[in-house]
Amino acid sequence: MKRLLITECFKLFRQSKTYYAIASILIIEGIILISAYFEGTNIINLLLDNLRKTFYFNGTLLNGNLLQYLVLNTLWFHLPLIIMIVVSGMLTAEYKDKTVQTVLLQPVRKWQWILSKYIVAIGFTVVMVGLLFLTSYWLCRGFFGEGDLVVYLDGLSFFPAAEAATRIQWSFLAGTISMVFFAVSSLTLAVILKDVTKTWIVSALFLIVCNVLLKIDLGTDWLNQYALFKLNDTWQYFFQYEIPFRIILLNWIVSVFYIIIIAAVGIFIFHKRDIG
Amino acid sequence: MIEVIGVNKNYLVDKTHPIKALENINLKIEKGEFVSIVGPSGAGKSTLFKILLGLVTPDSGEITIEATSVKRIGGIIEKPALYEYLSAIENLRIFAGMQGLPTTRIALEEHLIRVGLPIHRKDPVANFSMGMKQRLGIAIALLNNPSCLILDEPFTGLDPMGVVSLRSLIKKLTAEFQLAVFLSSHLLEDLNQLCNRLYVLHKGRLIRQGNTQAIMNACTHQYLLTANNLSQSTSLHHWQHQLKGDTAEISIQPGQVSDLLAALTNEKIEITSCIPQPDLLLLFEGESV
Repeated sequence: MKRLLITECFKLFRQSKTYYAIASILIIEGIILISAYFEGTNIINLLLDNLRKTFYFNGTLLNGNLLQYLVLNTLWFHLPLIIMIVVSGMLTAEYKDKTVQTVLLQPVRKWQWILSKYIVAIGFTVVMVGLLFLTSYWLCRGFFGEGDLVVYLDGLSFFPAAEAATRIQWSFLAGTISMVFFAVSSLTLAVILKDVTKTWIVSALFLIVCNVLLKIDLGTDWLNQYALFKLNDTWQYFFQYEIPFRIILLNWIVSVFYIIIIAAVGIFIFHKRDIG
Repeated sequence: MIEVIGVNKNYLVDKTHPIKALENINLKIEKGEFVSIVGPSGAGKSTLFKILLGLVTPDSGEITIEATSVKRIGGIIEKPALYEYLSAIENLRIFAGMQGLPTTRIALEEHLIRVGLPIHRKDPVANFSMGMKQRLGIAIALLNNPSCLILDEPFTGLDPMGVVSLRSLIKKLTAEFQLAVFLSSHLLEDLNQLCNRLYVLHKGRLIRQGNTQAIMNACTHQYLLTANNLSQSTSLHHWQHQLKGDTAEISIQPGQVSDLLAALTNEKIEITSCIPQPDLLLLFEGESV
């Protein structure tokens, strides 16, 4: 298994598309920072003009914490989409080039090989979120400094600078679980669909549908709390005034359960299916 | 060494119309034997190979493979599938590494030398010719010393020099490693040179099997004869023929070819080649054995 993991990592980081994905994430981050630099102050002043008359804000509101929060919001669509493209490509490219045949002609267990892909996909996702966190942390604070964070979630919330930084860190951690969910789902879609383009389209559709259904009331509390697509905003809970740690922990446990189930389905299908 | 008994495989196009890819296949390949299978496109050759290599599960039947190596059979299906963005040595490193074989530079270079590939090329295999890719594919197939090699259309896409070169390599490797080889090819002349036994597959059924030369002879009633002064021959008129310059297409039974050649030699006709022209329709679609 260790050998398979090493070869999967080697292949992933020898492909140019991996670096295109990393570059894309950094470019999106850069665009957010540049637009904030040129337009952000005006927008914030416009939005908070009245509040400034009543409250005192420590430092400028267009600060590193707010910018990192904006970067954090790429977890909704940009980051999972890029991760899904790279991760699903780890398998669809093998189908397209038929290297899956060459691999399985070696004395390698089918289930172990596909499991190694899931593990590397999870590792890659963690690295990508980690990279986004670290680069945004340094760039945002480096260029915009520290300050209190203002967030609009069912109303405006303000967090002191130090507390905001901690909440953002926890959010990235929670977001990592959501990203892993999407990465694992895209790999399972790749197992089912095999084709590169079909997998990209269905993965993008899956992401959009998950985001849409997240906002829809499913009628019962149980479904609203634990349905597959209702757990992907857990990272936002860290910006509620009182952090609901119990709900967050439960959401994490259920998310991990879903991730395991989705990966197990993919491994089972791959193991049972002929490599024609 | 490999024994296939009563193997069947159907593909479902839809729920009501299964397509019989293979029907009651029985075959045997002994250790060190060189066996080939021919048939028109879609006859089921690749499906049979995939079943033998464990990529596809048969619907019924039994396959017995006697081998001591962890990797019982090595093979290439259709064309060598390689990581095109990696170099030859990196491809070998991947495939050797995943099965726990040594991945030192020296060990990997040995595999390249074994199949006659240069050891200093660092560019991606996407730049390689088809012949070089076939060689690398064979090097990967031979990792972990399998006792049987399956090659599906190994000469496809190769120029004549490439065919000759690959044929020599296959011969050399089989002799060196005492390999059994099971291959398919549309180049019947090559099969005749390489293989002891031949199977003919048609619409998923084996319709002929036996000695390659005997099957080829049974399906050959025409020869293409080339000679410098062929038009001066009188003995040629004993057989039905069509003369075009120095070349004649002669309808003749294989057993009579030696008589024809002797007669032409007596007439001082300078024969330069005599090539059998198998009747492909008879070979590929003949009556069931």
